[in-house]
Amino acid sequence: QEFQFGPCQVEGVVLQELWEAFQAMKDIAQAQDNITSVQLLRKEVLQNVSEAESCYLIHALLEFYLNTVFKNYHDKAVEFRILKSFSTLANNFIVIMSKLQPSQEKEMFSIRESARRRFLLFRRAFKQLDREAAVTKAFGEVDILLTWMENFYQL
Amino acid sequence: HIAEDTSDLLQHVKFQSSNFENILTWDSGPESAPDTVYSVQYKTYGETEWQAKEGCQRITRKSCNLTMETGNLTDLYYARVTAIDAGGRSATKMTDRFSSLQHTIIKPPDVTCIPKARSIQMIVHPTYTPIHTGNGHRLTLEDIFQDLFYHLKLHINHTYQMHLGGKQREFEFFGLTPDTEFLGTIVSSVPTWSKESAPYVCRAKTLPDQTWT
Amino acid sequence: DGVAALPAPQNLSVQSTNMKHVLTWSPVVVPEEIIHYSVEYQGEYESLYMSHIWIPSSWCSPTQGPECDITDDITATVPYSLRVRATLDSLTSAWSTLKHPFNRNSTVLTPPGMEITKDGFHLIIKLEDLGPQFEFFVAYWKREPGAKEHVKMVRRGGIPVHLETMEPGAAHCVKVRTFVKAIRRHSAFSQTECVKVQGETLPL
Repeated sequence: QEFQFGPCQVEGVVLQELWEAFQAMKDIAQAQDNITSVQLLRKEVLQNVSEAESCYLIHALLEFYLNTVFKNYHDKAVEFRILKSFSTLANNFIVIMSKLQPSQEKEMFSIRESARRRFLLFRRAFKQLDREAAVTKAFGEVDILLTWMENFYQL
Repeated sequence: HIAEDTSDLLQHVKFQSSNFENILTWDSGPESAPDTVYSVQYKTYGETEWQAKEGCQRITRKSCNLTMETGNLTDLYYARVTAIDAGGRSATKMTDRFSSLQHTIIKPPDVTCIPKARSIQMIVHPTYTPIHTGNGHRLTLEDIFQDLFYHLKLHINHTYQMHLGGKQREFEFFGLTPDTEFLGTIVSSVPTWSKESAPYVCRAKTLPDQTWT
Repeated sequence: DGVAALPAPQNLSVQSTNMKHVLTWSPVVVPEEIIHYSVEYQGEYESLYMSHIWIPSSWCSPTQGPECDITDDITATVPYSLRVRATLDSLTSAWSTLKHPFNRNSTVLTPPGMEITKDGFHLIIKLEDLGPQFEFFVAYWKREPGAKEHVKMVRRGGIPVHLETMEPGAAHCVKVRTFVKAIRRHSAFSQTECVKVQGETLPL
């Protein structure tokens, strides 16, 4: 059981444990997001991502989630008493991040750029919202991220 | 002007989904009168417009089939119900964000158990869902969940079990005693989504052994 | 203000076997008094991104015994920092922190217990139930020169399961080991046990 994001292999993370952690937070997290007309991780960001692109894209998304989304959502996690599940998710994202080694070779430039454009679509949508609303929405969309990650998970 | 609290007209607005059949259900409130009527709208998460569901406008029943309207597996959806009573009071309530992939429950598989003298064969039939591809092909659960597999157990005189499992559709338990009753249970399992169906149960009696007659 | 009037617990250590992790420490002794302890943890995320944040452990905030089952708190394969403090009424000690962070990939995996029985020609195995994180790889073969070794993956222990239908007169042997997905490690194989259809379990 491992992730295979193109050339990037990630072992030691059980996807069901991530789902369990998020399911324990999903209803309360998504209930705080009342902007139903905006989806940050929309089709243009995640659909038809090539294997080669996937490592760059997941690396950029997880880095953003760890540095920006989780960091700013922490106080809400304490408030909603979901700190344990929140910690499980964050620490497993750390494991995935630590094992992603996206290639920096020149010939991968166009693929890297394609992944970067996708990520920028997401980040631009994020920045167009009020900061707290954006963090709440992004955290509530972890299930969209996990659903996409399923495509690269091998039993 | 203080808005009247009408939340007692309507409660528990939610999706119930099994094998991708997505039904919106709700309950009337403790105070609502029998002649209260309900209207349903739905929308894709990320879009602005709400759509009225034809066939579920000003209805008195408390469910509405939204399978076709929520059939895209990668989209997420919301639905909402507006209740209006005879006095003109109204209340609107919305579901949680709904994803059929995450929420659907898998029903027990359909299986034919065929007893023989020293074995029992089990044939699992494909489970078709309401989901269609672009060219109208109806998807099975196996099409949707790549890692779906079947887990079969044959219970031997309440002391131990025989286990078989896999993605194929035909299984056979061998080495059984003739003319004996066995209990078989078959579940569909999707590990990556932590989904497991209730068991399909079949009782089968092996045939008498004809070889020595 | 009574914060450090109580000595801090000492000798913190973690014993981990088969993915069950227990934090222990030397008890703080105050004659005729009952001391309570509080345990908190920090994963790598917390220590990297919000080092001031510690999370109360699921079962031991507070607890009386000088040990704490932290299995439910360790939910990723990353280093976890752990700390304990003692309390007596309004008195609290300083925190004592585990010297080296604990990572669940260091757990000791023991060969699983197994029980081999037979029912007529059926060879039946019952494995120790070690919880949902464990899978079992059962190797079994007919004891004769050049015999092929078969492997069967058993998802859960605790239930007697039919392994194979034996041939009369031949000894059939079995050994088993565990596999833990979350840390991608195997245990060692268990002792081999052999059964002959007419005979009793044969010692090796």
